[in-house]
Amino acid sequence: LFQGDLGPFNPGLPVEVPVWLAINLKQRQKCRLIPPEWMDVEKLEEIREQERKEDTFTPMPSPYYMELTKLLLNYASDNIPKADEIRTLVKDTWDTRIAKLRLSADSFVRQQEAHAKLDNLTLMEINTTGTFLTQALDHMYKLRTNLQPGESAHSQDF
Amino acid sequence: SLVQGSKLEVPLWLAKGLHDSRRRVISVEPPKIYKEAWRMVFSADANVVDLHKMGPYYYGFGSQLLNFDNPENPEIAQTTFISRFRRIMDSSQNAYNEDTSALVARMDELERALFRAGQKGLNDFQSWEKGQASQITASSLVQNYGKRKFTDMDG
Repeated sequence: LFQGDLGPFNPGLPVEVPVWLAINLKQRQKCRLIPPEWMDVEKLEEIREQERKEDTFTPMPSPYYMELTKLLLNYASDNIPKADEIRTLVKDTWDTRIAKLRLSADSFVRQQEAHAKLDNLTLMEINTTGTFLTQALDHMYKLRTNLQPGESAHSQDF
Repeated sequence: SLVQGSKLEVPLWLAKGLHDSRRRVISVEPPKIYKEAWRMVFSADANVVDLHKMGPYYYGFGSQLLNFDNPENPEIAQTTFISRFRRIMDSSQNAYNEDTSALVARMDELERALFRAGQKGLNDFQSWEKGQASQITASSLVQNYGKRKFTDMDG
């Protein structure tokens, strides 16, 4: 267990707390949440545009952008201006990123890459497609090494 | 006892056991789906081939065949996988719960395992999105125990 101090809590003055506490206090109707600076329509529109334009992955304002968006919009949407638009913008950006991830996966396989490197992905994206991708690349690896001229004594286990 | 030059069908494990490229006791001919004629079909459009019908372990078996120093090595397996990969990926990560059973029926076992991995990733994401990830549910181990009343307990 770890422990620490938070506060001081003065009425009317914003204070930084861990997300879990913020959500908890909000659920108990003891506070109002202030959304992060990037959770704003204009900023998210910029990010979405950049994601759609570029072939590479845009660095996201938070490695937890999906998780934070979900939490804040679920528990504190009344504190977030244009919450519905925000939700749509984040979802659009996510969809674009996932589509790019699949395109990259397909091109890794087609070009029979030995190494794959993708920058600026968040854990959420990695976990959604990771198992599939690593398994597919493993399979490619096996197919590739099987084709190399080998001693006949080697048994290739599948 | 066998006459030299006779042709037999044997299981893979037996062929492997008998094979020795130095002594040339036997030479192995791969099943026809790995041979030239089928390669034409595969290169036309690998996606339509029913790989399950070809032998549910198309890739695994194909790899084993490479042990036999056969000049007709089935590197077709790699090309086939590359062409089919995209469709396997897209259908396994398909969010619309469309019926994919027709597609899966044509996949060999390895592709099916890959397909399931993709589905799991997607399903896990969707269940997170619905908020199911933070719900506490009773472990399946204890669900079958009858609940004991507090008054029934000792002490």
